[in-house]
Amino acid sequence: MKRRKAYTPYLFLLPALAFMGVFLFYPIVDVFRLSFTDYNMITEANFTGLENYRNLFNDPLFWKTLKNSFIYLIGVVPILVVAPIFLAILVNHKLAGIKWFRAAYYIPVVTSMVVVGIMWKWLYQGNGILNYILQTLGIINNQINWLTDPQIALFSVMAVTVWKGLGYYMVIYLSGLQSIPQELYEVSDIDGASWWQKQIHVTIPLLKPSIMLVSILSSIAAMKVFTEVYVMTNGGPLNSSKTLVYYIYEKAFENLNLGYAAAMGFVLFIVIFILSFFNIKLMDQSSR
Amino acid sequence: MKKKLLVFSMLLLFVFSFSAVIAAEDVTVEFWTMQLKPTFTDYINGVIEDFEAENPAVEIKWVDVPWSDMEKKLLSSAAAGNAPDVANLNVPFSMQIAELGGLVDMDKNLSEDVKDRYFESVWSSNTYQGQTHALPWYLSTSITMYNAQIFEEAGLNPDNPPEKYSQLLEIGRQIKEETGKYLMLPPIAETGRYLEYMVRQGIPLLNENRTEAAFNTEESVEFLEMWVEMFEEGIIPRETITEGHNAAVDLYQSNQAAILLTGPQFLDRVQENAPGIYEQTKVAPEITGEAGKVGVAVMNIAVLKDTEHKEESIEFAKFITNDKNQLDFAKIVTILPSTKEAAADPFFTDVAPDSKKDMAKKVSAEQLNRAVNLIPPMTNQNELNEVINQMVQNALLGEKTATEAIADAEAEWNSILAE
Repeated sequence: MKRRKAYTPYLFLLPALAFMGVFLFYPIVDVFRLSFTDYNMITEANFTGLENYRNLFNDPLFWKTLKNSFIYLIGVVPILVVAPIFLAILVNHKLAGIKWFRAAYYIPVVTSMVVVGIMWKWLYQGNGILNYILQTLGIINNQINWLTDPQIALFSVMAVTVWKGLGYYMVIYLSGLQSIPQELYEVSDIDGASWWQKQIHVTIPLLKPSIMLVSILSSIAAMKVFTEVYVMTNGGPLNSSKTLVYYIYEKAFENLNLGYAAAMGFVLFIVIFILSFFNIKLMDQSSR
Repeated sequence: MKKKLLVFSMLLLFVFSFSAVIAAEDVTVEFWTMQLKPTFTDYINGVIEDFEAENPAVEIKWVDVPWSDMEKKLLSSAAAGNAPDVANLNVPFSMQIAELGGLVDMDKNLSEDVKDRYFESVWSSNTYQGQTHALPWYLSTSITMYNAQIFEEAGLNPDNPPEKYSQLLEIGRQIKEETGKYLMLPPIAETGRYLEYMVRQGIPLLNENRTEAAFNTEESVEFLEMWVEMFEEGIIPRETITEGHNAAVDLYQSNQAAILLTGPQFLDRVQENAPGIYEQTKVAPEITGEAGKVGVAVMNIAVLKDTEHKEESIEFAKFITNDKNQLDFAKIVTILPSTKEAAADPFFTDVAPDSKKDMAKKVSAEQLNRAVNLIPPMTNQNELNEVINQMVQNALLGEKTATEAIADAEAEWNSILAE
């Protein structure tokens, strides 16, 4: 009887494992293999050894796009880790109409990024509504070139990612908040704690698991940004908003240089792996 | 019992072997087109029915693919081993696949008199290193669409639209001053389009051996400086740097730009999306440069090398591009045929004077005999295009002077061409 029971969980896992094997693990291994070839989808792939990796390390555009992806990471992740906590605290009250607010914050999440990108492209236009409002209010004198100034374009795109992601992480924190026992807040009330002290000493420590989850998810998402760039700027102007994944896409599907793209993809894989590893280590240490 | 089973299974085998033989005689040719459904479903189905009637052993399976997905879908199907037999591709993409040896050489597989049917200049736009890798199908030449009302408001004569690039600066200034609107959005920072502008202006791209860039000339610097001036004065919008033809159409439709350089088939789009602007729209020949050259956009029919039915595929390619079928096609949409006899039909010269679409068709057809595929086929076209895009962006944004930008682009081209 015992022996049969031991196998049952694995049998249940088998379909999911098979699916992941075919659509996740096998492609990862195959990309690694492709990175040593000159595959272009039309003709047979020839083995080229480490040539792709050598070209990669000497390619200034690879380093630029990697840098852009890191700027994305540093700019977007702190905001998406911290701000949704306060949004979640806000919508966690039993006020009239609070459900409407929760829905409103979540609507950007369920809207297609393509639609969001097109919409923000219009808002960001030189003679678009954002500049119009800012100029009418006297905040700026001349139009700001949100998407056509190489110094600002990347940050304009980052703002869209933040805007769209807030609701998603808010919901993760909301479920975390709802598992915090109310007695702890009542006890701190008795101790005379202010609202801010309650958040620092009760809410945030107990939200640690959620914070770790959010920081890993948002870091990975930030390193993989593609759609916003594709819709809004095509990586321009002057490659200032080109992220690594966009460059990989360009090399693979526009230049038909899949071997090189695979090499870049594998480097990205290693980078994200290291990032996630340090993320977890950091969280583990601070919780001790 | 066993005997009955044996007889029964032998009968079954007999019947099935017959059907296998019959099935083997029917050839299926898979044919992909770029975004022709639903507007042209009836036309293409008609052509397919006619072909199948003449070739009963061949069945054509038609698959229509959205324009922007065609490249990716074709590549992934080729990688999976089930690419179509015949495909409708544009010149740059068919060139890319041909470079990798993926298309059938039409020069070798067609007789001289069949080849003669097509316009020479258009046939040679698919010729590279001695091979012609596709049959030209339908063509369009660009025209100039302009908003007569904006012209009038700016104090310009709406019956006298600009003909050359050199006129654009003055006209643009006047339009900006009097109406505050943009002249147009020239797609010069996108996919190497600026190369076409240079060719129209008479600036050479390559030296005779096609081994080195030849566009670093005084005229070239002056030409680029003209666009930079237009950009700095706000005559063309800042979005010129990152946007392309689609944004140009949007800008024209939303009454923010006076001119749109596009194919005549876009008149339908303007009519549908902005009927008010359509009323004010007039049509003129494509604005060109000092060399007076006019570009032609060619749509191809190519046969993929991996096809299992080469003969039938080539026959279908010839059929769909023949005079009758092309003329029929040109009668339902503003495109031009690539075959001489079809293009000589009076349909292209007899026009109703009030009809904008007829005017567009006439203008478009008239340009055909001086139209050339502006960009000669080059290897590593994508990389070369990207260098030009960066050159234009750098100059427009003031990151480099026109002189520096062009010199840097020349150096990069030379290193790519030397590969």
